[in-house]
Amino acid sequence: MRPFTYTRANDATSAIKLLTENPNARFLAGGTNLLDLMKEDVERPNTLIDISDLGLAEVKSIANGVNKGGVSMGGLGKNTDAANHPLIRQHYPLLTQAILAGASGQLRNMATNGGNLLQRTRCPYFYEVSMPCNKRAPGTGCGAREGINRMHAIFGWSDQCVAVYPSDMAVALAALDAVVHVRNAAGQERQIPIADFHRLPGNQPEKDTNLVHGELITAIELPPNRLADKSYYLKVRDRASYAFALVSVAAALETEGAMIKQARIAMGGVAHKPWRALKAEQLLVGKEATEANFNQAAEAVMADAKPLAHNAFKVELGKRSIVLALQTAMNGGKL
Amino acid sequence: MKDTNKAVGSPINRIDGIAKVTGKAPYSMDHTVTNPAYALLVKSTIAAGTIQDIDSAAAEKAPGVLAIITHKNAPKLNVKGGLRGGALLQSPEIEFFGQNIGIVVAETFEQARYASRLINVTYEKKEPKVDFDLVADQARMPKDKDKADAKRGDVQAALRQATHKVEEVYETPIEHHHPMEPHAAIAEWNGDKVTLYSSAQIVNGAQSAAAATLNLKPEQVRIVSPYIGGGFGSKGGQWANLALAAVAARQVNRPVKLALTRQQMVNSVGLRQHNRQKVSLAATADGKLTALAHEITTHCAINDEFVEPCGDCSKIMYDSPNSLITYRVVPMNLIVPTYTRGPGKSTGSFALESAMDELAYTLKMDPIEFRIKNEPARDPSNGKPWSSRTTVQCLREGAKAFGWEKRKPEPRQNAQGNYWIGYGVSAGTYPAHQRPTSALVKLNRTGNEVKATIELAAADLGTGTYTILTQTAADALGLAVQNVHVKIGDSDLPPAAGAVGSVGAASYANAVNDACEKITQELLTKSGKQFFVRPTAAQLMLSEKLTDYQTRVDSKPPEQAEEYSAHSFNANFAEVAVNKSTGMVRVNRFLAVTGAGKILNPKTARSQIIGGNVWGIGMALTEESVVDPRWGNFVTRSLGDYHVPANLDIGHLDAIFINEHDEHVNTLGIKGIGEVGIVGVAAAIANAVFNATGKRVRELPITPDKVL
Ligand SMILES: Cc1cc2nc3c(=O)[nH]c(=O)nc-3n(C[C@H](O)[C@H](O)[C@H](O)COP(=O)(O)OP(=O)(O)OC[C@H]3O[C@@H](n4cnc5c(N)ncnc54)[C@H](O)[C@@H]3O)c2cc1C
Ligand code: SF4
Repeated sequence: MRPFTYTRANDATSAIKLLTENPNARFLAGGTNLLDLMKEDVERPNTLIDISDLGLAEVKSIANGVNKGGVSMGGLGKNTDAANHPLIRQHYPLLTQAILAGASGQLRNMATNGGNLLQRTRCPYFYEVSMPCNKRAPGTGCGAREGINRMHAIFGWSDQCVAVYPSDMAVALAALDAVVHVRNAAGQERQIPIADFHRLPGNQPEKDTNLVHGELITAIELPPNRLADKSYYLKVRDRASYAFALVSVAAALETEGAMIKQARIAMGGVAHKPWRALKAEQLLVGKEATEANFNQAAEAVMADAKPLAHNAFKVELGKRSIVLALQTAMNGGKL
Repeated sequence: MKDTNKAVGSPINRIDGIAKVTGKAPYSMDHTVTNPAYALLVKSTIAAGTIQDIDSAAAEKAPGVLAIITHKNAPKLNVKGGLRGGALLQSPEIEFFGQNIGIVVAETFEQARYASRLINVTYEKKEPKVDFDLVADQARMPKDKDKADAKRGDVQAALRQATHKVEEVYETPIEHHHPMEPHAAIAEWNGDKVTLYSSAQIVNGAQSAAAATLNLKPEQVRIVSPYIGGGFGSKGGQWANLALAAVAARQVNRPVKLALTRQQMVNSVGLRQHNRQKVSLAATADGKLTALAHEITTHCAINDEFVEPCGDCSKIMYDSPNSLITYRVVPMNLIVPTYTRGPGKSTGSFALESAMDELAYTLKMDPIEFRIKNEPARDPSNGKPWSSRTTVQCLREGAKAFGWEKRKPEPRQNAQGNYWIGYGVSAGTYPAHQRPTSALVKLNRTGNEVKATIELAAADLGTGTYTILTQTAADALGLAVQNVHVKIGDSDLPPAAGAVGSVGAASYANAVNDACEKITQELLTKSGKQFFVRPTAAQLMLSEKLTDYQTRVDSKPPEQAEEYSAHSFNANFAEVAVNKSTGMVRVNRFLAVTGAGKILNPKTARSQIIGGNVWGIGMALTEESVVDPRWGNFVTRSLGDYHVPANLDIGHLDAIFINEHDEHVNTLGIKGIGEVGIVGVAAAIANAVFNATGKRVRELPITPDKVL
């Protein structure tokens, strides 16, 4: 590990100021991703600003504003606490399922909601510093593009980077239209819709998100919805737990009689960001919740897929997963 | 049957259990030495070529750095000293990605790691051979005589004539052992002698290989290895890191701790090779095998050959008049393969037992009946009688216990909700051997209490050696288990076989039993008395009022053992649930029935078997080390990428032991259970997946994409 200084921040303002002043500083939240990357020499901060003491961990109902009636989770709250909070369990079971599908109990106890949003790709070439990787070392090339890319993207990739973003939590947040609240050194609050939070790689794969250096994630807001009765997070992986998704689907439906009033479909394990399938959602609105219609929606999502050498299976697997997730959602989230 | 007064056969708890769970059992890096420095290996980042230069100027100036050792300044070591995998810093040649090219020694581990990042290496690269598919057709005959072509009859003719046959290729990927305790050593010099605290499955083997490599005499090297945090074959032979710890300690003149990181494990301590296995079977319409061919293609290192014996099960499991077993091997720029749990038998049985299932299906026969129909009366490979063989019993008892009659012969007939349910069976075997081992028994009496200390350079992989030897000695001496103390894992003790190839229990327990027998005999003679009922050694210590007495034995397997073919046998039963949409496979239930001679301790034995089963489930469903076919690096270098099964993958496990007494195999009738527990497991699961879905997966692991 490279030598670094460690500071424990007392309040958000000074933490943000310290970070803003030093381009080589990083916030340290749970550390479950950052420390691993430092040991591997992928992340090389010279200063860590520990933000564990800042509070900002509460889960609470939103009393005012556009998301009134929704729920807000503190940026520094632990994944475990968010997943198990009664407000989340009751109103956003999709999010509970997604968080609990990720990592392991021990990791979720350490991991924070903000840190989870900012976890970096698990692309093995990104992790091994002797390998070319445009995300880690811009301009060196992409090791995975012509290499082993079974786990990589089928949507939205560029020749510069074919990595996928690994978070499960964020896939549910995408389906739920969450809004990320951030604060900068000037004390200004910014609200970033989850759809705009993460980026596609394009020519700048080193940039995972649209967050500006210095900004602190203070909260994640979930707008109220009528999707809680019919939602499901399906994660397909190489082992039954403690593995990243080959493909995952966050599905939620609101129905009126036999008719679908509203549908949400977001996918994980397929792109550089949570992959929201707005077109397919629209296809379902006003239709009946039948397998045929779910199939049609799944086909529509996958029509844009561009698989790589080793991940063509994700197209068929993705289709089936979308159908199964929608069916399970219809069934009240029970497989 | 278990005698209630005896320790042997009782499910007593592990003697070392409390020490382990309270952190008092020292593993390699836990031993206390004064003022240690820390070393980290530096690894090559190409797979083939030559180092042109290593620039370590910046690293040398980094905080805390004590020494940097590369091929430019390393002492001369004996590369043929018996440490495996080369990489001893003796030349600038690079033969595989991640080869050791240097050591950084510093005051702390973190400083060593930081400094290692500052080293700049320039290479002259060569085109590496790292894509098995590209080089497999260059495979040649192995040098090892055991791997010569073994032919009986005319397989080709039998295949041509057969009405029912299967000819398929089965692939098993590279796997890594990944024990919880990565390989590590503390080296401490005292004059011209060095003590190496390092876990070793073969204590005396580690001693002689380290000594020869370091150009020392064996008595100048002491191996201390009281506990082993798993090894699975990777700590059988020893690797460069052991000698390099000693080199580093000599260089900085203080004790050095050198541990591999998890990421370094993939190219430091061997691997299980990728096997491409063609199995051809032919049978008559009523299910009698007429041909059995097993042709194996695999890889080895550029300058070192190891080939796991994938054909071993095919040699002895079934009776066929025509048989062919061949091996071909191609050198590649990868670290040399080595023994990995159930070497050859676990991977070979996947091919053979899958093919048996395929042929049974073609014949419309129950796969159990098909196997039993081809049960050989003698060892087909050499005509020897079996010391005992329990395949049929394992299959029959297992079928009953598992509820095999509920299996549907055709796939996709058993659905539960969104899952297909399937049953699979397989049979397996592993040879039983006893190896020469010495043991020392010391008896000591204080008042009316007699205590024994047993000493031998045996190894406990976490499997229960301490426990079973305590039980064996307690019975043989007439003592309670609390009064027996077992000391193992130190090369200063009498030499012993290794805990490898399932020889540990048979070799150690027979030696300890022989030593106890000898001491009893000596005490009897010493007493000069005749007894109506033979007293125990403990009773003799009391009656003869002796305070201390000891004796040593050099134990060997009985001579007539060679006249028999001796093996453990098993049958495996798996019930899987396969998600109809996603192809994810879950093992609901797994049953292993094992005939392994005398079971010394049913509790530790059960743990061994279900541990092997878990390994087999990993082999079947999740484990795979993936090489980049351009550069030769493993892309699966952490336990986040290399998937060992998680609890949820495993379901309910059950182990049954056949109650058997094998009077030929060795004095105590012990056959060994460490390896057999993984043999056949992957095939039973693959066969169950076929029974569930109709999809035959011939390429492990069975990940969702292959089942879709
Ligand atoms: C073995 C393993 C398996 C895993 N499996 C999964 C899985 O299956 N699914 C899944 O979704 N995740 C998985 N994870 C990832 C895990 O969820 C993340 O590591 C975790 O969520 C990161 O949170 P943290 O608080 O520890 O972040 P840190 O490691 O502390 O921080 C990560 C990054 O975020 C920045 N940061 C943290 N908090 C803030 C904030 N409030 N404002 C601004 N910047 C901030 C840090 O500076 C750093 O750059 C796994 C991790 C491991 C190690
Ligand atoms: S896919 Fe992205 S992260 Fe992976 S090697 Fe290519 S550039 Fe790096």
